[in-house]
Amino acid sequence: MPIIGILFNIFAGRRLVAGDPRTGEPISGWFATSMTLANFGIAILLFLSLSANGHHAETITLFSWFDIPSAGFYIPWAMYIDTLSAVMLLVITGVGSLIHIYAIGYMHGDKDFARFFIYLNMFIFFMLILVTGSSYLMLFVGWEGVGLCSFLLIGFWFDKPDGVGLINGRAARKAFVANRVGDFAMILAMILTFWVFGSMEYETVFPHAMEMFKANEMVSLFGMSVTIGQALSWITALFLMGAAGKSAQIPLYIWLPDAMAGPTPVSALIHAATMVTSGIYLITRSNVLFEIVRASHYTLLDIISVNDLVALTGAATALFAGLIAFTQFDIKKVLAYSTVSQLGFMIAAVGMGAYVAGMFHLVTHAFFKALLFMGSGSVIHGMEHGHHHMHEHHGHGHDDKHGQGHDAHHEDDHFDPQDMRLMGGLRKQMPWTFVTYMAGTLALAGIFPFAGFWSKDEILAHAMFNARDNGMTFFYVIYGLLTAAAICTAFYMGRQIKMVFFGQPRHEAVKHVPESARTMVFPLVVLAILSTLGGFLNTPYFTFEAADSAGAAYFVGHGGEETAMAEGEHAAEESHASEEPAMAEGEHVAEAEHAEGGLYLAYEHWLEHSIPSFELTKANELHMPHTPTWLNYDVAIISTIAALVALGLAVFVVYGKRPQNATDRDPLQSTPIWWMAVLPLDTLFIKGFVERVFNPFSVWLAEKFDWAFWHDFVHDRVIYDTFVTSSNFLRDVFDPKGVDGIVNGTARAARRLADVFRITQTGNVGNYALSLFLGVVVLVFYFVATTN
Amino acid sequence: MEVTIGWYVALSSILFIIGALGVLLRRNAIVIFMSVEMMLNAANLLLVAFARQLGDLNGQVLVFFVMTVAAAEVAVGLALIVAIFHTKKSIDIGHINLLKG
Repeated sequence: MPIIGILFNIFAGRRLVAGDPRTGEPISGWFATSMTLANFGIAILLFLSLSANGHHAETITLFSWFDIPSAGFYIPWAMYIDTLSAVMLLVITGVGSLIHIYAIGYMHGDKDFARFFIYLNMFIFFMLILVTGSSYLMLFVGWEGVGLCSFLLIGFWFDKPDGVGLINGRAARKAFVANRVGDFAMILAMILTFWVFGSMEYETVFPHAMEMFKANEMVSLFGMSVTIGQALSWITALFLMGAAGKSAQIPLYIWLPDAMAGPTPVSALIHAATMVTSGIYLITRSNVLFEIVRASHYTLLDIISVNDLVALTGAATALFAGLIAFTQFDIKKVLAYSTVSQLGFMIAAVGMGAYVAGMFHLVTHAFFKALLFMGSGSVIHGMEHGHHHMHEHHGHGHDDKHGQGHDAHHEDDHFDPQDMRLMGGLRKQMPWTFVTYMAGTLALAGIFPFAGFWSKDEILAHAMFNARDNGMTFFYVIYGLLTAAAICTAFYMGRQIKMVFFGQPRHEAVKHVPESARTMVFPLVVLAILSTLGGFLNTPYFTFEAADSAGAAYFVGHGGEETAMAEGEHAAEESHASEEPAMAEGEHVAEAEHAEGGLYLAYEHWLEHSIPSFELTKANELHMPHTPTWLNYDVAIISTIAALVALGLAVFVVYGKRPQNATDRDPLQSTPIWWMAVLPLDTLFIKGFVERVFNPFSVWLAEKFDWAFWHDFVHDRVIYDTFVTSSNFLRDVFDPKGVDGIVNGTARAARRLADVFRITQTGNVGNYALSLFLGVVVLVFYFVATTN
Repeated sequence: MEVTIGWYVALSSILFIIGALGVLLRRNAIVIFMSVEMMLNAANLLLVAFARQLGDLNGQVLVFFVMTVAAAEVAVGLALIVAIFHTKKSIDIGHINLLKG
């Protein structure tokens, strides 16, 4: 194990150099990719060794980092490998490798190809530090590092002409600043943690917290004596703030939609699959602290407990972002809001104590959202090429007169390859992209049996189960919000699929769209397979309580079957990389092992070892809400039906009167005429609700509330203006009058005094002698006067 | 006529006043210098006189110190005056006002 840890760093170091050789894109790209792949291999090794040694967490101390003996402040640079970080490692390196491969195709021809891969590798490096760090401080190193990489990659095209670069740079800055707010809370949380526990290492803090809780110890904080529950409430609330910054939750989610300015592989890797999930990782990692807070029944400001606040934040974000996604036209913006929404699901899950469900959704979401983003990237890429090709086609005959050819297509100057209104009918042009995109959509919408169904339903079932059977009535609210969000998800994905892939092409460029390069399609296929099958990692279907042996047998059989399927698909795709079946195999082997060991949800059983709250619950020291391990049929059916209906509704609404060209209105804004004739009963609903209430509401939400109010008013007017006004005040008044006034005033006073005293300095020795003499006379008189 | 201590004090005072006035009023650096010496010697005279009167040798010993310091002072002071004369071709302190603010 230590060797593996050292290898990590060797690779990390080498990886940073990887992008340097500019001898050619393939070398640079594939070298970077191979480094990530090597990490993926190590992750698999770690995974297997963890399964072999009975899931014991390992700490590998590399060197001592901070050591201040007088303050008792000692933090080693150590890797903490347990099942939780192993899962994160697999996701990061697995999805990361695929995205590297994809990026080789996507970034082809970019002048900063090598720079891109340097950033990408650096990101992976920091992400690995984040998930393997053994203390909050190391987590924070990774946390800041990925923030930096995110900034660099969002603003990757900062030098694009026509003001686009400016927008990119601004988006990058926005992301950075919004993240800083969360980071600030993180720093405070870490300081408090150290204050209370005298350490920042997981292995010290968690048991310590537990002991203090059991002993009902009081902690002195800011001169007040508070219970451990109160102290932890504040710490965890600050953690929530940090997570909200990184994982784009209300109120700090604003940066994520803007972050779509970056290259699409970046959106897929950082802003969908990995970095934005670090907030969920943080909360899951701190599960003991959160559960102690739950057990202590302490409420923040007597209103709401931190756990409920976490859940509510997540659920509200999920619904809110889902509603906004309805009316977006930018293909990536839809996905961005969708990501915010899905992250809300995860945050809500961990807030409700469903850590495994949250992590499960994290994994499946990484699969299908990376897939969707890369699919959309493929579409955008195709649209750009199509547009380009169209130009060439038309400009035929006067190739050398570019200016003239350009003039002829003046109307296309504002061609936006990401505008869904310009697409349509792409399924014929890009069959691979279409099929994989469909898989991703179904997974995201939560249609049985795709991955999203299992993970999303586990969260919903958890909420329902605990609300109904354990009397946590607050979870009804969460359940309602999340179900509504799930319906939204299905609806906007249906709309997107419809607008992009079906119907007639609405722009000439579409006809010239080629299928993407093989390096781009390959990861799509792999991810599509994972999105389809990933849900079986933790599916309750095979884990009835009684059927031990049968279940195990089924599991083994099933694992084999999946692997076979994966390989079959793979062969069809002329595989030139064998790592993906390896991943599938690795996980399935592990699954089979767990299944033999006993019947739990495979994934839950796996993660349990990293979530001490489980053990503590079993020992009756804590009580955490239990996630049901069986399929909750009513919840499952409700959400499936809801998702199907929403998907169908989306398809019908968009189908009824799909825009024939870019200038047509979005059908969401105009009711199709035939609705009235065919479904008179629904007319009232459509006319009365959808058109009058819902569409305006969604548009209002997106344009007025989100952009006009939240972005423009709150951020631009209130925060920005306040900031600018106060800065201007400081610049125009405080600095020249105040600071400079003091400084210059001192100087002026000195000068005046000098003017007065200068006359005494005649330079004439006689005068000095006289003053000396007079001084002596005065002194003599003084002494004579005082001695008598 | 008995020469009492009062005479010594009077003579010393007169010498001192002459010296002080010389320092304050004269412009020739060397004369000023001589005036300073005169003030020192006035003090010396007083010291010796009182030592004799009180039968205390300490005063007489102190006179030697004063004379030593005066000798050193003369050496430095005259060197300074010579140097000034080299540059300014004058030892009139009215012309030496480089430190005027």
